Amino acid sequence: MRPGVTRGIAILALALIFVGVMMSVHWPQVGQDQLAPTTEDVAKTLFGEDNSSGYGLVMFLIGLLLLVALLGGVFLAKEEKE
Amino acid sequence: MITIEYWLILSSLLFAIGAYGVLTRKNAIVVLMSIEIMLNAANINFVAFSSYHMGLHGGSQDPSGQVFAIFSIAIAAAEVAVGLAILLSVYRRYKTIDVDKLNILRW
Repeated sequence: MRPGVTRGIAILALALIFVGVMMSVHWPQVGQDQLAPTTEDVAKTLFGEDNSSGYGLVMFLIGLLLLVALLGGVFLAKEEKE
Repeated sequence: MITIEYWLILSSLLFAIGAYGVLTRKNAIVVLMSIEIMLNAANINFVAFSSYHMGLHGGSQDPSGQVFAIFSIAIAAAEVAVGLAILLSVYRRYKTIDVDKLNILRW
């Protein structure tokens, strides 16, 4: 049997296990009149409503990570001199 | 309202599709795209459980899951930037991005 077919069958079995587990768990029902959070709620959670709450520091670190990834990407993709 | 089971099944299927792509495809760019699909499956889980948690606790507005999904998307962007740069460098050196042929790190 080709290895691709074997891997496909393995992944299909994995997906079936996932779906079976999801369906076998009893999830308590939630109210139908639930209002979805607005972008304002997301922004309040992200930046906080005062200086001591929120994820401002994490946001700063993620920005730093993106800058480092950008610089690393430029460095790696730079054309080498002969 | 779509119940949480369907979101979890969707994310499980997306994860399985991504894992299938990682295991079977040889093109490294397709492998990167499959990894992104798996990350998006995790993001769907974050948002689904956040919404479910808010519904369980009487409509408390705590969208932490959405915030974590935003962080996850940002980290995925950083990962794909570095991954594509590495692939570009690998292609310049070996003239291929076939992951079966890139065995120089194997010992």
